[in-house]
Amino acid sequence: MQGLESFFEVGLNHYLILSTLLFACGLAGVLLRRNVIVIMMSIELMLNGVNLSFVAFSKYMAMLEGQIMVFFVMTIAAAEAAVGLALAVAIFKRFREVNIRYFEQLKG
Amino acid sequence: MASESFLFWLVALLTMAGALMTVTLTNPIFCALSLAVTMVGVSALFVTLDAYFLAGVQLIVYAGAVMVLFVMVLMLFDLKHEVKAFTRGIFSGALKIATVGLTAGLVSGAIFATMRVSPPTGEPHLAPANDLTAALGQLLYSQYVFGFEALGVLLLVVAVGAVALARSKGGTHAGS
Amino acid sequence: MGQDFVEVSINVLKLIVIFLLIVQAVPVLVWLERRGSALIQNRLGPNRVGWMGLMQLLADAVKFLFKEEFVPEKGIKVLYYAAPVVALIPATLAFCAIPLGHPIKVEAFHMLGHSWGPYVFPFQGYDMNIGIVFVLGVSSLAAYSLLLAGWGSGNKYSLLGALRASSQVISYELALGLAVVSMVLFYGTLNLSEMIRQQQGVLVFQAFGQMISVPWLPNWGIFYQPIAAILFFAATFAESNRLPFDLPEGEAELVAGFHVEYGGFKMLLFFIGEYGHMMVASALMTVFFFGGYQIPFVNPDEVYQNLTLSLGSSTLASVVTGFLHHLVFFLKFAIFLWIFIQVRWTLPRFRYDQLMDLGWRTMLPWALGNTMVTALVIFILNRSVGG
Repeated sequence: MQGLESFFEVGLNHYLILSTLLFACGLAGVLLRRNVIVIMMSIELMLNGVNLSFVAFSKYMAMLEGQIMVFFVMTIAAAEAAVGLALAVAIFKRFREVNIRYFEQLKG
Repeated sequence: MASESFLFWLVALLTMAGALMTVTLTNPIFCALSLAVTMVGVSALFVTLDAYFLAGVQLIVYAGAVMVLFVMVLMLFDLKHEVKAFTRGIFSGALKIATVGLTAGLVSGAIFATMRVSPPTGEPHLAPANDLTAALGQLLYSQYVFGFEALGVLLLVVAVGAVALARSKGGTHAGS
Repeated sequence: MGQDFVEVSINVLKLIVIFLLIVQAVPVLVWLERRGSALIQNRLGPNRVGWMGLMQLLADAVKFLFKEEFVPEKGIKVLYYAAPVVALIPATLAFCAIPLGHPIKVEAFHMLGHSWGPYVFPFQGYDMNIGIVFVLGVSSLAAYSLLLAGWGSGNKYSLLGALRASSQVISYELALGLAVVSMVLFYGTLNLSEMIRQQQGVLVFQAFGQMISVPWLPNWGIFYQPIAAILFFAATFAESNRLPFDLPEGEAELVAGFHVEYGGFKMLLFFIGEYGHMMVASALMTVFFFGGYQIPFVNPDEVYQNLTLSLGSSTLASVVTGFLHHLVFFLKFAIFLWIFIQVRWTLPRFRYDQLMDLGWRTMLPWALGNTMVTALVIFILNRSVGG
């Protein structure tokens, strides 16, 4: 009967587990994919998972600092996306593909 | 209570489906679109957590700007199907998946263990949603104003850097 | 709790009515646009079907319904079909958050052996504290419909149109957002109803500890923030892809832009989306700068009290007040829609580099400067009042 109760009584646990799953999805994407842009999207996914846990803690601990943190994370994620996409464009111009293995050619 | 939990489960399923599709689909455009669905879902989850302002910001920044940028770049590249979407090697692949599983398992195990030992005691509800945005602004511009200013500098540097990177020699049609 | 059957069902009804309002206003607007363009260009326009050609829209809708259904061979089917549906969502959701009239208060009454408690129905889909953030967030999703259409059609013209459209929308969102920020600074709230409430009566403001009153001007936002009003209105033209910013569909260069491959009813859905954006823009103009639903110089609460005295029943008076203000709102709203149409048939199209120049080098600096000056002035005025 406890399973049914946890189904109806949504609490902090539910949000934290969901955030973990989102983070794990993002991690899998970063490790397994080869397209640079998809890898960056997976990083965004991980950041979103973390943001979710911040907001959940912010509500259940009654502290606004969590939301401030999310605000900062969002800004940095947007900045990261801009630089990452510029790098991807640079790679694409040279190799006509955005595979991660071309990044080793960038040195020197 | 039932309607709230129904909302949570609906949005959570949508978000998870979007996240899984982002990682598994082989066409990058579809990946980006499903990630956009995930972003909208996370924004809805913020609403269920009474973070209305952050939900709006999530829509504007992530779904409206960052993901549109991703989709635009992907469309400019005109990447059709990827031949090798995933990394090679069965052993290393299995290792990576095991790593992901282990991470997820450890973290959720830690969550359950902590919750059993010390469940959150504080009253789960902050002030009514009315004052929350104003309080957020007050906090951001008083206690955390240094971080805010630092973010402004960071954004400026990033804008200059992105332009410099994207303008590096040769146009899109320069060839190798 | 406080929510019972009546309240819930009336709220649901309101959402349906607002959606239908958007969809049904489109044929009327199309008729207005065609007749108006004919007026401007000294010709007749549609005048055969029905009185003044008003039935032309019905005929058009039937024609759209019976057109052949086709999908481009090289397109992606899912995206091709999803795009027109997605085009409807942002405008509808945004419009629901805009207050269209004075809230209706219903006194407690007895019916069918139950007592139904006092209700307050706001004249809008949903009243939110972050109103304007929600509207901006939802309407920033509009870029997806264009991108989906452009990519799903498998046509290079539509792809070019979609890329142009989305880069244009992102570029002008900056100027738009900054204009909104200066308005938020000025009103000190994100709530649209609260903004309207601050524009009551005649122009009165406090400066250096003195009250300054201008009895021959209503207390509207445009008299405080004229630059923001101009920037906002210009940016909404670009956001809704109307002339002079309709580069995404520039017929001469791109055939028809992102909707080359669309025909029949799917095309009509794009139309509804575009007109929906126009409507949201006009409604926001009214709310920010022209006093929303309020009658100029008149306080809605006074109207309500006078009507209560003359009608005897406060519920009836409240209903009449609500609809009266709704009518006023509609009048202001219609004037802006007409300006949209008039501009379309007056100004030529920009070149693409001119468009980007205008957005980034002219409107963005002006908007930034306006925001800073607004913040500074508010700071100085508040300081002198406080100390």
